[in-house]
Amino acid sequence: MSTQSQNQTLEQHPRPDAPAPEMVTGRNGVAVAKKALTVGSGKGYRTYEIHQRERVGESTEKIKPIQLISNDFARNPYPFLEILRENYPCYRDWLGNAYWITRYDDATSIFADEANFQTRSKRWFYGLDNFGRDLREELPVLVAHESRTDAFAGPVAEEIIGGFAKDGEVNLAVEFAARYPLELWARILDLPEGDFPQFVERFWRMQRGYDWEPNAEKDGIAAMHELADYFRPLLEQRRTAPGEDMISAIAGLELEGGPTTAEDVVATLLEWDHETLHGALSNMWFLLLTHPDQLHYVRDERMMVKFAYLETLRHSAPVLAAKRFARHEVERFGRLLPEGAMMICSAAAGNRDPRQYQDPDTFIVGRKDLCQREPRGLYRADGLPAGIAFGLGKPSKHPALPEDRPRSLYAITRDTATTANNIVLDMLANLRLQSGAEPHLQSLRIGDMHTCWDLPVVFDT
Amino acid sequence: MTASFAAVLDKALDSGPTDQSEDITAQKDFPLMPYGEAYDMGKADDGTPLIDPRIFNSLEFMRNPYPYYRIMRDHYPVFHDKLHNCYYVTRYQDVTDCYFDDEGFNTIPKGSSSGVLGNTQLELSGVEHRRRRNLYGQHLVGKSLANRIPAIERLAEEMIGDWDSMTHEPFIEDQDGVRTIEIGKAFANEFPIRVVCEVLGFPKEAQGDFYYWYNSMMTGLGGSETHKQGVEARQHLEDYVEGIVEERRKNPTYLYDNDGNVISKDIITKLCETKVDGDYLSTEEITSNIALVVGGGGETTRGAIMNMTYLLLNHPDQFDAVMKDESLWDNAFHETLRHSTPIGGQPRHNTYDIVMHGVHIPAGSLVNMVDFSANHDDRVFKDPETFDIFRDDLYTGKLIRSGYAKEGRYSHMAFGVGPHLCPGAWISHQEATIGVRILSKHLKNMRINTELQAKDIDGKTLAPMGLISVRDLWIDYDLK
Repeated sequence: MSTQSQNQTLEQHPRPDAPAPEMVTGRNGVAVAKKALTVGSGKGYRTYEIHQRERVGESTEKIKPIQLISNDFARNPYPFLEILRENYPCYRDWLGNAYWITRYDDATSIFADEANFQTRSKRWFYGLDNFGRDLREELPVLVAHESRTDAFAGPVAEEIIGGFAKDGEVNLAVEFAARYPLELWARILDLPEGDFPQFVERFWRMQRGYDWEPNAEKDGIAAMHELADYFRPLLEQRRTAPGEDMISAIAGLELEGGPTTAEDVVATLLEWDHETLHGALSNMWFLLLTHPDQLHYVRDERMMVKFAYLETLRHSAPVLAAKRFARHEVERFGRLLPEGAMMICSAAAGNRDPRQYQDPDTFIVGRKDLCQREPRGLYRADGLPAGIAFGLGKPSKHPALPEDRPRSLYAITRDTATTANNIVLDMLANLRLQSGAEPHLQSLRIGDMHTCWDLPVVFDT
Repeated sequence: MTASFAAVLDKALDSGPTDQSEDITAQKDFPLMPYGEAYDMGKADDGTPLIDPRIFNSLEFMRNPYPYYRIMRDHYPVFHDKLHNCYYVTRYQDVTDCYFDDEGFNTIPKGSSSGVLGNTQLELSGVEHRRRRNLYGQHLVGKSLANRIPAIERLAEEMIGDWDSMTHEPFIEDQDGVRTIEIGKAFANEFPIRVVCEVLGFPKEAQGDFYYWYNSMMTGLGGSETHKQGVEARQHLEDYVEGIVEERRKNPTYLYDNDGNVISKDIITKLCETKVDGDYLSTEEITSNIALVVGGGGETTRGAIMNMTYLLLNHPDQFDAVMKDESLWDNAFHETLRHSTPIGGQPRHNTYDIVMHGVHIPAGSLVNMVDFSANHDDRVFKDPETFDIFRDDLYTGKLIRSGYAKEGRYSHMAFGVGPHLCPGAWISHQEATIGVRILSKHLKNMRINTELQAKDIDGKTLAPMGLISVRDLWIDYDLK
């Protein structure tokens, strides 16, 4: 038997955090790693009894796991998620080796449970755990992000809208919603204006690659390296001559692990992303334009713009789900979850949970049963559920109080979106859908953000 | 809008799903390639070909899977499909190893298939599995099997004899002393089920019901809407078999040879008399075994008969050799199963976290053992895409549970290996060989009707088998 390519093993995704398993040589000389079945080691062990216990009363014929990655799901996930939420609140997806959590209280209980459930970074999904450091918790970075965002949220929106305000028609989803967050990022980082196109393009590729498509993944990793190469001279330059921007803040950091690098900048940008702002803008205009009564209401009562944004994130969350991983074997939802279990906590399903919201499928700006303030863990301001859009993760180590601390990301994004949307209402008079247009929400790729990509509008010039 | 961003966004919008058909899976239109060539899905920076997981749902992969399996074997011996979040094991040695590791790669019931077939040993492990398997497996091997061969032969002869009275059927046509016939509808679809009914000792009147139950159970395995029908069909089968079992407990029935002499009791009667730990088998236990025999004995054997006929007729020199030397039928059978396996692989779930070929597989993942690929692994079989009944690296002797790997000969993986080796392997060997042998004996100058037979994309060459067995096989033969 030829053994030529037998030794040619492919280091596909080394997982440095995975404990080194005990290696066993199989019958034909293939190395198989196996974990000891001893009590206490607990490393993802599953026994026959566990499976049997899971099986009790389990019948999931109302849905097939393949439906959860179908084109129909990419177009409209809500019917499928309703089946899960109302029938199998902790659905064991044997195909994707995951558990789907679809009720509001269940999902938030996982988000708030840092002791048992772990968040994994986008770099982990890329298989690049050691690529840079995530600096989103560093106070100078947060301060720079907040001040730059607040300074440019209005001007960037005015500039973009000014670019097409004379045309009388535009695809609002692409020309405004998709573009705005990326251009804002360029201002937060204070990039030279000529570099915008290239930065925006690389940022976009980077954010779309950590998924399942191999070409996009390759492209995304290439974009990360290109971005690091681009930031390297910029970072050195701002170490000596700092400005007010976020790169300068990163350059000035003094961390235990050594001075900051261009990879740190890229890792921070990757984890921070732009999808919620992009999706919220796009979905909100989709919803308002397809619900003209709500649009009139918001136009007349400008204070409702903020509530329209909040209700959009509840009704049509652009990021459909967040993944958490069990840190160890834990019993939840009537199941024994093994260590490393992937929990798909569905924001889209939880946000339409009839246990929380009356008439959850209806878009009602200013609805009375939606919390209008920032959620903090499981604590409910107003005693009302807030909707899942930011995952209610562990509280920042820099709470928004006292006053000189930066606002939370939740608050910054909300205020940015409100500012930008007010400018849309100011600058584009009598905004309405192009006649005959039938916009819809759509994930471009299975697992991608669920948002509107084609929103042709007309307005008076 | 900045120019290059617009271009990137356009690209992203283009690549999204455009058609809103009823299509359930994440299809992307992959071009149909010339048979044996892989579509280029991009390359990594080091030149490794990339695999887009949507290919697994594509028509291209259905008809032309082997070049893609070759890429997987050579570059991704354990391939992580991140779309479906499952893993593919593709090399012969690895598949063998995993099949033997019953503890590490379990077959414990997942999802909705178990409701249809019942609590069968397909989904058990260890001692419980061995006990169940041996209960009825013993009736399908060795002397018990040899006793049934005359009955199987008689059935085949009967079915071929019936053709003369079936000339009004759309799949049979006589013209100028030549009969054109579709072997699937005329013979192969029905033959295995009739054998199962015969061997299990069911009355002939029940055969129509058996088709329905069989088809419903098979489609019900996938779950969802058809699942209900599958469960119902199983319930009906259970009710029917229950009655039969109760009857046989009182009045045993027997198998007869061609001369009408009693050979032995039939399987159900024997199962009724089987004792485990001093107790007779429960009716429920017998029923789920029978459901498994009905489910497992149909489609697989049908595929073997169709593929074997098709491949032999496509290689006339080898067909002539087999016709001259009866002992070559075993070679033809095993080479057919190596070259075109009716069942492409088996799912397993790994019990522990493991690392194989540098890929970390979290516990509980779906790990697909690809028999198709193992059988075409050129680390084991030279020139694997060629059909050659004389190949010197394929073991063609008596099937052994532990597999065979001696003196440069290896057993094929179509029946799996190890504890879950197909218990019907021996009987399906006899069924398929007898079926094709008797066909070739009665059908003079048998040849493929190239006009009616399905074509490949070029419209000229015959369609390749790909992942599924030959569906329709049009044959011409001389009546005189």
